[in-house]
Order: sequence, then C-alpha cells, then structure tokens
Amino acid sequence: MQTVKMVISGAVNAGKTQFIRAISEIEVVSTERKATDDTKDIKKETTVAMDFGRISVGDDLVLHLFGTPGQKRFDFMWEILSEGMLGLIVLVDSTRPETFRETNRIIDFFTAYRDAPYVIAANKQDHENAWSPDELRLALRLNSDVKILPCVATERETVKNVLLELLYVIMQRSTEE
Amino acid sequence: MALVGNLRDFALADFLYLIDRGYKTGSLQLNRQSDEAMLYFDKGKLLYAARSQRSERLGEMLVRTGKVTPQQVAHAVQLQENDSGHALGVLLIEQGYIARDELQRHIQMQIEETVYGLFGWPDGEFCFNAGTKLDKDDVQSLVPLGVENLIMEGVRRVDEWGRIKDHIANTDMLPRFVDQPHEKAKSINLTPDEWRVFARINGKDSIKEIISRTGLSEFDVSRIIYGFIAAGLVEVTRPRPANAPAPTTRAGAAAVAAGIPKRSLVSRIINRIRGM
Repeated sequence: MQTVKMVISGAVNAGKTQFIRAISEIEVVSTERKATDDTKDIKKETTVAMDFGRISVGDDLVLHLFGTPGQKRFDFMWEILSEGMLGLIVLVDSTRPETFRETNRIIDFFTAYRDAPYVIAANKQDHENAWSPDELRLALRLNSDVKILPCVATERETVKNVLLELLYVIMQRSTEE
Repeated sequence: MALVGNLRDFALADFLYLIDRGYKTGSLQLNRQSDEAMLYFDKGKLLYAARSQRSERLGEMLVRTGKVTPQQVAHAVQLQENDSGHALGVLLIEQGYIARDELQRHIQMQIEETVYGLFGWPDGEFCFNAGTKLDKDDVQSLVPLGVENLIMEGVRRVDEWGRIKDHIANTDMLPRFVDQPHEKAKSINLTPDEWRVFARINGKDSIKEIISRTGLSEFDVSRIIYGFIAAGLVEVTRPRPANAPAPTTRAGAAAVAAGIPKRSLVSRIINRIRGM
C-alpha cells in the first residue's frame, strides 16, 4: 500500500478541521481540547495537535490529509508534517485581515524550506465582508501564478475543487512514467 | 460588501497598495478614538481625503503660505455663511483672491498631508466600501493622486519598528526586485539615501550587507526597504539553508523536497477526487 500526503495549513480558526472533515472518508482524527492561550477568544475548541483524514485511491494507494496545528507554539510540527508531502493547501480566513500576516508567515515557511506545490484556499467566501480572492492576492502579495481559490470549508464541492486545483499544479510538475 | 479590519493588523501602506493594484473605486473610512478620516479613491487613485481633527484648515494654509490675506479669508468665510452652498475655495476664486491652479495645488498639499498624518496611526478601524463615489459638490478640486508616492512619503514618517518588522523579520533577509514591477513604479520619487539602498539591491546581498555598505543605520535601511516593499517594488525572502535547493520564486517551481510524483499517480488521485 502506497501512501501520499497532503498538508492543510493556515492560521487559527482558518477552517482546517472543517476542510478535512468535508472530504475525508473516515471520521477525522482530531485532538482537541480546551484552548488555554490566545486562541480562546476566537474559538472555544481549537486544534492543538493535528487533524488527520484519509481518502483511499484503490486498493494500493491512499491519500492522507494532515491539518497543521494553528498555534505558533506548535510550529515545530510543520517541518515534520511537511516531509514528503505531495502538496500544500494554505487556508485563509477571508473575513479576518488580522490573520493575513500569520498566513504569510506560513506560506514563507513552507515555500522557503520545501518549495512544495501549493494553493491558497480563500475560506469563508459565503460570509459577508469576505475579501475576494483578487483582494487576498494583493493583501498577501502573492504572484499571479499562485492559485487562490474561493472556498467554503463546510461545503464538499468547494473543498473538492481546491484539492483538484492543487493536484493540477502537482500534475504540471510530475514526471513521465 | 465592505472590507473591514484594523490598521494594527493591516497597515495603511498595505491597504493603499491593494487599492492601487486593484484599481479600486470607493471610500475608505478610518476611525481611531475620537478621530475620523475619510478617503475617496477612483480607479486606484486618491481623489480626496479629509480628517476630523485636521491640524490646519485650507484658509489657514493659504494665509501661512502668503497666497491670501487673513482679511480675504475672513471675507470669503462671511460670504460662505451667507451662502452656504459654496466652498471656501470657490469663493476665494470668485472674489479673485487666488488663481484656480494655485488653489488646487494647496488642496492637493492638504490632501497629501492628511494622508501622511494617517501613517502615524498605530491602530484604527478601517472600512472600505467599494463603489462609493465622492459627491463632487463637496470638494473644490478633483485631481487624482497616484498612491505610490503617498506610500513612499508616508513610510518615511514611520518611526516605529513594529510596522517594519511585519515585513522584515531580521536583517538576514534578502531583498530583491519583484519579477514584474508595476508600470507606475517608474514615477516614484526617491531621496538620495533611498537611491543608495536601491542601487545595492541585487537579490544576493542581505539587508545586513546593505547596511554595512551604505553606512546607514539598521532602522533607516529597514525603513527604506519597507517603503520599497509597500510600494510594490521589492520583496524580501529568507536566506536559504546551505543544503537547500537552488532559489526559485515564492510561487515555487520544482517539487524537490517531496520527491516528484509520477503522472499516473497524480492522475489516479484526481480521478478519485472527481468521483467523490
């Protein structure tokens, strides 16, 4: 059985857990407990370890989805999680510009050391006052070749679309047989 | 829909960059404590800016610069009180106290000073309403101002490290010119010290090395580079580890670390996701 891995990252409350739940074929494994730090003002429960989901691709191949911890004190996990990943999805809460700086830090980390294929999922596009993907591109200073995709992490179709768009990026870099 | 947030998290320079590059039209309302400012933009250019706690009114500025006398301003104010439908500047022109071009130049200066003053706000709520247009009857001049020079001048007045650190984490970072500098970047005006820094950006030297070569202080060089970043001229990247693959753009090019997957494997996953 071959396993491949995708990493879902983003700032606290960006929607990582929901994103994985929307697409995983197994009950998502999340270790959540009461927040005790700066996240407590944002959400009552926050991911302090990681989320894990799975999509089987036939009998011999399985795709694992790992959600990174949101809090800075778990940054050391990023490097571990990103080893051998197929690609990266960075979720951004489109309604909270106060998280854009942290989003950029996450992008910088993964692209500086892994240079992995990645896309940005502009989550919560169904909310009023959500910044559009075009506005997020300017706010995050992303080049035009970085895909920024509208997303509602609770809706499976948009989550599927984000995953597919990332796979198309990966496909462009893939090798012939 | 409105774009809302706080300048503490998303600086005015960043917002002006967004408006400029996004060719936005609309109004930007800023509130901090009892102070309030309103800026109007048309296709990425600043049309008008007003602030409730303005330090100097138009009439005061014109008197200070010797363009009109206090008596002329007083007369125009009196006319204004009798006929509230006209702005002070219009009345000054009608009375022949000042030429239209001269008045417009001063209004532009006043608008610029208003915006520069806002760069000093460490925080403050902002709300951008796209599509909101300026009521032309409310102003005396509509000379669209390019935002890039406002950013550069505004950043020159930034005197706090915190804002700069948002973009420049440390002096080991490598500044380089963006791949496709905006066409309007050509019109940016630089001071001699800014040119000195600008000329030493080569994508290889760190900020620390630029500090050493220019002899400028760490704060000054960092602030100047922050201005270039804010205006969209330059980006900074982290130095790569010695054993890391060759540098690429931030968008990335080669899937080196993960091992490049085979096309058939990716194709299988795509088909699986499509079928879900």
